[in-house]
Amino acid sequence: MTAHPAPSEFEARTNATFEALMWALSRPGLTRDLPAPGQAGIVEALLDRECNVHCADPDLARIAAATGAALVTQEQADHLFLDMLPGADALRQIALGSDLYPETGATLVCNARLGQGAALRISGPGCNGAVDVKVAGLPDGFWQMRARLMRYPMGFELFLVAGAQVLGVPRSSQVEVI
Amino acid sequence: MSLETLTKSWEPMSYGFLDASAKREIRRKTLKAIAVPGCQIPYASREVPMARGWGTGGLQVSCTLINPDMRVKVIDQGADDSVNAASIRKFLARVSGAPVTMDTLEADLIQSRHRIPEEKLREDQVLVLQVPNPEPLRPVQPNMSIARQMHADADYGRMWLQLYEQIVRSGRVMQGASYPSLVNGRFVMTPSPIPRWDVPKMDMAAHLTILSAGREKRLHAVPPYTRVEPLVFDDVPFRVEDHGRLVCTRSGARGFFMNEIPQEDGTSSFEVSDSELGVKTIHRRDGDAARIGETWYTDGEMAQ
Repeated sequence: MTAHPAPSEFEARTNATFEALMWALSRPGLTRDLPAPGQAGIVEALLDRECNVHCADPDLARIAAATGAALVTQEQADHLFLDMLPGADALRQIALGSDLYPETGATLVCNARLGQGAALRISGPGCNGAVDVKVAGLPDGFWQMRARLMRYPMGFELFLVAGAQVLGVPRSSQVEVI
Repeated sequence: MSLETLTKSWEPMSYGFLDASAKREIRRKTLKAIAVPGCQIPYASREVPMARGWGTGGLQVSCTLINPDMRVKVIDQGADDSVNAASIRKFLARVSGAPVTMDTLEADLIQSRHRIPEEKLREDQVLVLQVPNPEPLRPVQPNMSIARQMHADADYGRMWLQLYEQIVRSGRVMQGASYPSLVNGRFVMTPSPIPRWDVPKMDMAAHLTILSAGREKRLHAVPPYTRVEPLVFDDVPFRVEDHGRLVCTRSGARGFFMNEIPQEDGTSSFEVSDSELGVKTIHRRDGDAARIGETWYTDGEMAQ
């Protein structure tokens, strides 16, 4: 039998990043470990020239542009990488997809502090009962605005990144501020 | 920008067969499928060295997920040793170096054609189902643009009508496999042609299920702990196959989904469909050590 190929460093890293993202979204509220801290790993695992991306950080925008993705405004982006949201109103500019094509809703990646701040109760698919988490660093009224904007199956996916930790909140999750 | 940054070093082939851009597309689509349980997400469905209709959809998802630490199990109608299962398992091991297993308890990734193993899957396991026809509405609406609109409107009246007509004509629901099921109270999906026996296993299951149709170029997913309800009328309860009392003639396993083997005298004998469960039952009967995990069904009854 021929020798099997070994994964390159890039392949191993992107594979592990996706596995973390997949499980983060499958089990909302449970944090997963990314192979490297920061949002750049998510960019290289998901983006290529088929994507429209919006990056707040100019350094990250350079990395995203190198993948071939088009740099566009928030409204046109299918992937958004933000550091901190200026206010809950910024969510109004995020693509929610349509009932016909729910998958065109955007993926929003932003930084937050996990394990401190506002207490949230997440329920829905992927939650065995309800999951309580604490998230700080999001603007006031963020979760209320998210609930107001999204009409399932339209919506956006949210990944909160804190260093090398990621927490996923799919559109199917109900988030209650407690 | 230099030539160095635009190119990568030469490799004899991509790890896991699919190239990086194919994997990225499947990753993006898989995330959306998990976020909208039961909704069919279109994807490009690349060529793999296997004919469409033989599990290319499942194979592409497996090739995307696989890494050298992921233990793979492949089954075809419950059997680990059929040609389709053996070939896919060999292919996956060859292109990834991932270890393989036949034991459901040891597997991290299970690619399956038309069965869910009888032993309960755990929170860290992924089940990839091969799907021939991902569109539950196709029998009632062949036009896929209209079917998409019906999904968008959650307009599933015709599905109920179809079931009603079966009951009126035949006295019972005739749908044997791919029983239409409502996921998370919103999308009707086909659970792939698994027998009715396996449908209740999906409801609030601990594992992640990804269903991928390579020929039809769509994938959908059922995340862990998600409601999956077979479509039924209040007064006509959902019934699984009457296999609860059957005994496997080879292993003596009782109360699991069976393969019926016609005999020359016109009768039938039965063999447990989950082949590895049968093997483990035989080992245990012979006094060898074999660990059989908790099963979904005990004595032919689904635990509530």
